[in-house]
Amino acid sequence: MANLNVDSVKERTFDAIVIGSGISGGWAAKELTGNGLKTLVLERGRDVKHIKDYPTTNKYPWEFEHHGQLPAAVMEANPIVGRCYAFGEDSAHFFVKDKEHPYVQQKPFDWIRGYQVGGKSLLWARQTQRWSDFDFEGPARDGYAVDWPIRYKDIAPWYSYVEKFAGIAGNKDGIPELPDGEFLPGFPLNDVEQYFSDHVKANYKNRYVISARCAHLSKPNQIHIDQGRTQCQNRDLCQRGCPFGGYFSSNASTIPWAQKSGNMTLRPFSVVQSIIYDEKKGKATGVRIVDTNTKETIEYYARVIFVNAAALNTNLLLLNSTSNRFPNGFGNDSGVLGKYVAFHNYSANIGAEYDGLKEWTVDGRSPTSGYIPRFRNVYKQETDFLRGYACTFGGYRYQQHKYDGVGATLKEGLVKGDLSPWYVGVQFMGETIPKDTNHVSLDAKLKDDWGVPLLNVSVDYDDNDEKMKKDFIEQLTEMLTSAGFKNIRPSTDHRAPGLDIHEMGGARMGNDPKTSILNKWNQVHACKNVFVTDGACMTSTSCQNPSLTYMAITARAADYAVGEIKKGNI
Amino acid sequence: MNRRTVIKNLALVIGGAVLLPSCMSHDGTSYVQLKHVNIDEDQQRLIADVAETIIPKTNTPGAKDLNLPAFVLKMIDDCYDKKRQQAFVAGLKAFTSMVKTKYGKQFGDLDIKQREIILTGIEKSANAVKAAKPVKPDPITGFYWDVKRQTIFGYTTSQYFMTKQIVYELVPGRYIVHYPIKKLNLKSA
Repeated sequence: MANLNVDSVKERTFDAIVIGSGISGGWAAKELTGNGLKTLVLERGRDVKHIKDYPTTNKYPWEFEHHGQLPAAVMEANPIVGRCYAFGEDSAHFFVKDKEHPYVQQKPFDWIRGYQVGGKSLLWARQTQRWSDFDFEGPARDGYAVDWPIRYKDIAPWYSYVEKFAGIAGNKDGIPELPDGEFLPGFPLNDVEQYFSDHVKANYKNRYVISARCAHLSKPNQIHIDQGRTQCQNRDLCQRGCPFGGYFSSNASTIPWAQKSGNMTLRPFSVVQSIIYDEKKGKATGVRIVDTNTKETIEYYARVIFVNAAALNTNLLLLNSTSNRFPNGFGNDSGVLGKYVAFHNYSANIGAEYDGLKEWTVDGRSPTSGYIPRFRNVYKQETDFLRGYACTFGGYRYQQHKYDGVGATLKEGLVKGDLSPWYVGVQFMGETIPKDTNHVSLDAKLKDDWGVPLLNVSVDYDDNDEKMKKDFIEQLTEMLTSAGFKNIRPSTDHRAPGLDIHEMGGARMGNDPKTSILNKWNQVHACKNVFVTDGACMTSTSCQNPSLTYMAITARAADYAVGEIKKGNI
Repeated sequence: MNRRTVIKNLALVIGGAVLLPSCMSHDGTSYVQLKHVNIDEDQQRLIADVAETIIPKTNTPGAKDLNLPAFVLKMIDDCYDKKRQQAFVAGLKAFTSMVKTKYGKQFGDLDIKQREIILTGIEKSANAVKAAKPVKPDPITGFYWDVKRQTIFGYTTSQYFMTKQIVYELVPGRYIVHYPIKKLNLKSA
């Protein structure tokens, strides 16, 4: 019997454990297994195998029961995820439904989740803009949050490292505030996007309209072919999962790569309840999971643990991992765990039209669009609000059909029609300021099916967000007007935070253990063999889409962890 | 994250045949078993006749050839909430009795010209009202727009339309900018 137990413990012992298989967990898995560590990857949801588990990927519109629309019953049962732009008849199976995993909205918060192998990396918008020191130095310069413990030079090589493997399309734009990377050929701007880009360049200092860098294989290199991926085919149906591996996801890239190493054990249906802390050893020894099929509680052990459960769930897990040493949550000596949660403000956009370039259009589809890097408060503070915003900028034309009448006339109207003028859309993406009042916590009473407390979410906009939004509308309206756009229509909405799907923070990095949870290597200050490298680690949010930064931070931290293991430090 | 939603919407507008549980009725037309809304065989026949008047068989297939009446019913049964379903059924009943009062016949027994006059009449007066002041459509107009909207949606996303009338590309494999509109060979209105 004793031997059996020893064997069982041995079977449940690995060099490393990675909690989560999304965009950052996939990278942790790839890097740790690639360095020879036997790694257990825990995923709370089901497995999703590349291509095999993309049931809708090759369907034509008429092959969907409702030709793409979701039934009223689904929409009524899912007011939260139903608001997500990517939730449709072709992609609903990759989203968490509202009733499946409840949480407590102390303030309105649309928490959009994907519980499966690959997580939301199957569903992301694939935008990959680097941060610069204008972002990393922001909190210290402008006096909010705490100073980032890293600078651009620390992460630049790791941006390059992950970009080469993931495959990023983009142009070398030479803009200091949005550093260039290791790019595959960029997708071109269309005529109206290029027109606005030229106009802005000629008339504004430090303002640019560029082709947004995106994680698409515009022209694959050998490393991408080695992953089994091929060139992006411009389908623009990415939310279904791509049979070509045209865009980067854990499923198409890092997870199969880790699998190939022979060092990964992937365990789906595994909800991690807590991290086990050994008081005598003074370090974490493993994790306690619940198998969601059998409801069995099982412990797994490892020398190093990477927490990549997605920002808010990472907070939940750390808060729920209590011990004599950490009565208020794992590594929470400072009391800031769960606090300083921030997001991106997407609650405004502008539509306009352009009465020119009528002889030109596009053929095929682009997986990306134009991008306006942040131009407010970059070189110095110049407004009555902190920080700034980036924008997407996209132009399009469509065939204008006639829907009048019935019969042969109508049938003709549905095929004939001239092209519309050029329409453009500008989407606001504002940085929000992390505050201790924007926080998450464990509910005192309510628990989920696995005995884990529900997460209370209390996150809201503030006055800075309102001022910034106003400035976006003023500045972009002025820029569009000066470029000769007509019928400029700003629009704002009252969406709850969360719908941007860029929630960040709660276990922020910092130099001082008294005011932060993680050090500059993403180690928990007070427990060096636990690393947090997903969105929870973010000290501030800046306004770039964050996934690329999570990937780079994860690869960097994994490299450091491997070194520390070799040195015997952890 | 809201990138090129318009293109996505266009892509959704762009797909036909749908398999539905159906059984044959006495006159040979298929009768759809609905889950949420009560629309009997006669009413289903009326919807089919309205749909066929909207997209008739010409030298190309019409609504009935493409099984669009079943699609319209499916959409109303699955994708409309209770309130919209009730309004639809109320409009359907009002439409039926309006036709009966005015013409002394069922819609399906009228000739094609008369059917077209009824439907375009509803559309014209609705457009006139809308131009004057945007108001909630009356039940008959609401019923008509619902059938028209779903018939057009089903038609323009049908396999027939998307392969024979336009070419929907699942895998374009290209993105070319600065593309002369002449090369699109669009049929002008």
